[in-house]
Amino acid sequence: MAQCGGVRVHQNQFIMSKKPTVQPALHKVIMVGSGGVGKSALTLQFMYDEFVEDYEPTKADSYRKKILLDGEDVQIDILDTAGQEDYAAIRDHYFRSGEGFLCIFSITEDESFQATQEFREQILRVKNDENIPFLLVGNKCDLEDKRKVSFQEASERARQWGVPYVETSAKTREHVDKVFFDLMREIRARKMEENKANNGRGKDRKKKSIKSFLFCYKH
Amino acid sequence: MGEPTLSLLGSSDFNPDKYVRELSLNFVGGLELARLRKKVHSLSEETSNNLKKNVYENYMQFIDTAKEISHLESEMYQLNHLLTEQKSLLNSLYNTSILGDDSLVVIEADFSKDDSEEKKEEIRKQKLLALKEKISGSSHLMDAPNRKVLYESYLTELDSIENTPLKSVYGVLLSDGILIANANFDDQESISLQFEIYYDLGSVAVVNVRDLGNVKQAFKLLAFPDSRIFQCKSSTVKKEWLDKLDQAKKERLSQEQNKKDVTLIDKSPSRSSSIDVPYINPFEEIDEEVSIHPEWFLEIPDELDVCVAQRHFEEALALLDKAKEYTVGYILTQNQDDHIFSDISRKVEQRKSTLIDVLMKELEVNHDKSLQGGLRAARRAVRLLNQLDRSMQSCELFLKLCSSMLKIQCKRVKREGSTSTYVRHLSSVVFTNMCHMTEEFLRAFPDSPSCASAYVVWASHELNLFTSHFIKQAFVPQTSLSTLTECIILVRGQCERLCKYGIDLCYQLDGSLRSPLTKALRDAKDKLIDSIKLRAQEDKWIPMNLKSKSALARLMQEYLDVGLLLNDYVTGDYWLQLTTNTVSFTKLFLKFLDDCLKLQTADLLHIIDETMYFVYDCLKLQTADLLHIIDETMYFVYEAQIKHVEHSLKNEKQLEQRQFMIKNADFLLNHLLNAVQKKYKDVNNFESPGLVKLKTENTAVLKGITATARNITKYSSTEYL
Ligand SMILES: Nc1nc2c(ncn2[C@@H]2O[C@H](COP(=O)(O)OP(=O)(O)OP(=O)(O)O)[C@@H](O)[C@H]2O)c(=O)[nH]1
Ligand SMILES: [Mg+2]
Repeated sequence: MAQCGGVRVHQNQFIMSKKPTVQPALHKVIMVGSGGVGKSALTLQFMYDEFVEDYEPTKADSYRKKILLDGEDVQIDILDTAGQEDYAAIRDHYFRSGEGFLCIFSITEDESFQATQEFREQILRVKNDENIPFLLVGNKCDLEDKRKVSFQEASERARQWGVPYVETSAKTREHVDKVFFDLMREIRARKMEENKANNGRGKDRKKKSIKSFLFCYKH
Repeated sequence: MGEPTLSLLGSSDFNPDKYVRELSLNFVGGLELARLRKKVHSLSEETSNNLKKNVYENYMQFIDTAKEISHLESEMYQLNHLLTEQKSLLNSLYNTSILGDDSLVVIEADFSKDDSEEKKEEIRKQKLLALKEKISGSSHLMDAPNRKVLYESYLTELDSIENTPLKSVYGVLLSDGILIANANFDDQESISLQFEIYYDLGSVAVVNVRDLGNVKQAFKLLAFPDSRIFQCKSSTVKKEWLDKLDQAKKERLSQEQNKKDVTLIDKSPSRSSSIDVPYINPFEEIDEEVSIHPEWFLEIPDELDVCVAQRHFEEALALLDKAKEYTVGYILTQNQDDHIFSDISRKVEQRKSTLIDVLMKELEVNHDKSLQGGLRAARRAVRLLNQLDRSMQSCELFLKLCSSMLKIQCKRVKREGSTSTYVRHLSSVVFTNMCHMTEEFLRAFPDSPSCASAYVVWASHELNLFTSHFIKQAFVPQTSLSTLTECIILVRGQCERLCKYGIDLCYQLDGSLRSPLTKALRDAKDKLIDSIKLRAQEDKWIPMNLKSKSALARLMQEYLDVGLLLNDYVTGDYWLQLTTNTVSFTKLFLKFLDDCLKLQTADLLHIIDETMYFVYDCLKLQTADLLHIIDETMYFVYEAQIKHVEHSLKNEKQLEQRQFMIKNADFLLNHLLNAVQKKYKDVNNFESPGLVKLKTENTAVLKGITATARNITKYSSTEYL
């Protein structure tokens, strides 16, 4: 009985909150990269201006924030994924929901840089889109003395992929806002482009999404 | 065709009609026929006597067998109890050596592992069945053989863009997927659940929504093309959902990994790279191990410490269950060595034994601790220990607690007032407590055969303690037979109270009382005989002078009440042609008879109760021992009195006086004896063989013939029955 009562309160909530509100545009960003490279640290620095020293592996966390992007009210939705997601199939699901990706490695760890190749491939496969908004991010640049991945090496890879390369520090907040804002601008640009394309060749667009849909289901 | 004989009538081809016809042909005349009839009649009587004898003999055997069986039963209980104790001892030895070995912690070897597996399966099925009924349209999902319900709750679905509540749903986490049902509020009272969708665990990703503006306690399900947000009612519900989801996913993953190890490596990009490239990740070790187990599992030992310290035993138990469930699942799916896992498992086991120790301490009898709360106070600890599969230990402690409580209660009963008052109080305390304890026991340990036998052993032990105390207190020379009888009847009545719980200890009580009772009867006999002898010395052999009419009338009435008509013995206004001695003996003996018969009925009633269907006639055989002693006692007492008359008669030459003596003897051997036999027969349905014998032995006295002329056969116990 108590449970029913509780649920009914929720129902009333629906009615009260069902007022027409125009929500600002929502951009969905996904943080990918090996474990311990600083995905969560970057996210938390961006969200709350704080640096978390402790390492606590993430499973899949989402955050949302209202921000002013070039004078426009937008919302950013950040999905912070796990460096170790054992289930490859499930990672696909996360990637599918993203509109833009921050692919992060730690400049102190070559292994994490190598892994970005795999992440890039998986994202392209899942999104089936060569031009998906994407930034290659070399984190922990405050640890210059422990650097294992050179700037040239990383920017060469970014150039090959046709994406920007930015070095950040979740600790010093260097370039933290930049990577998120840059990515959102790309996403926004992509969306405007798509809208245009949609208005022009609606049928084509539809076909493409069905194709990608089928592709995904094969996996 | 001849005279009727047993063999003729008993032969198998005997035809009554034909026989009678032939008889009437061969034997002519009324006289002849009357003789034959008499013969047949006597045959029939003889047969029925034989039949009775046979029945008696067989019933005797039957009753003996029944007695044997109840003894055997109690022995089996004791045996069972001993075996269970042995088993738990071996079990604990087994566990100790494994822990000492420091190898993999073995998940507790319970007494009934198969049972609990079966029970789990039963519970699993029931849960699914309940869901099937609850959620319409979900039946196709509920028959999978390995599907389990891991978690379920109401959720509020939010619009994934606007974060506003959309609808109320019911979410069910199964071991291999998530079921979402729409909750419809049909009317004020009821909610109907309609199946909406089922997501396979492999096709759905879970996101913990950490920050969504004002929306709290939400999580996301990503199942392409759906992306859905659900809000939980509390943070604990959300935590449960995420933990259980994680756990389910992990189990599923490891299952699949076991199936096809190789293919999975190919599929996972970060893994394949880790094979080619030398790996120097400083987080590697931690990463690998920490991420395998959920956080709550790693924290369980500490959490358990806190719970136990704060005496939140139920929570501790819930944590242990959770850990066990996880452990079993993990062991089933994982065969690699994982030292974090075994470390935690070992710690959890340690915490478990700490918890058990603490709970056992709760139950232990402590002399500083008041037993104020009684057994109720022990309920919690007993219940928890039972849940920890420690019911044998908790049962043992529980019974110890009962014993000490009983002891304290008994000590409070003051030895004051008459013996019977004391026995009344004491037995009431003992048996009332035992009844309560039985109720409490049955509550705490329903359907556990091993505990039940421990209980029976306990109850029997307590009864023994009580009876030996009772015997010490009541069976002393100062206690009269009447008081003793009263006490025994009281105790028996109390003991029967336990019968309604299925614990019949009356036979045990009877057994322990038999020998002291026999002794008490013999003592009473000796005392009676002594007093008879004493009075005999003082007997002046003069009629009794009651000094007033009313006194005489009172006496007559008194004797009439016990079935003795004294009219023939009255002379004058207040003379009675009996000696004071005869009259006192009469009183004494009737009182004695009364006590004996009461004792017998106390014993008998029980047996009637126990074996309703037996022919009442045969029941007396059961009490043969007691009856035998009573009979013997009566014989000797009576004989002492008769001997006195006989002795006096022998030394008396004066005719008038001799006649007076014979008159007294006549009263004793006929009037009184008949009345006694009637009373006796009322209870036993037959006359006292001892007194019958006494009468036949002594009829000579009535004719003035005394002992020197006769051979007195000594009473021997083997002579009758
Ligand atoms: N010095 C320094 N340390 C950092 C930086 N970013 C992250 N860290 C530290 O690196 C460790 C791992 O950071 P996380 O953000 O938790 O790593 P993650 O990528 O989210 O890891 P997973 O959740 O397992 O995928 C933490 O101890 C952080 O404090 C950085 O820019 N500079
Ligand atoms: Mg993280």
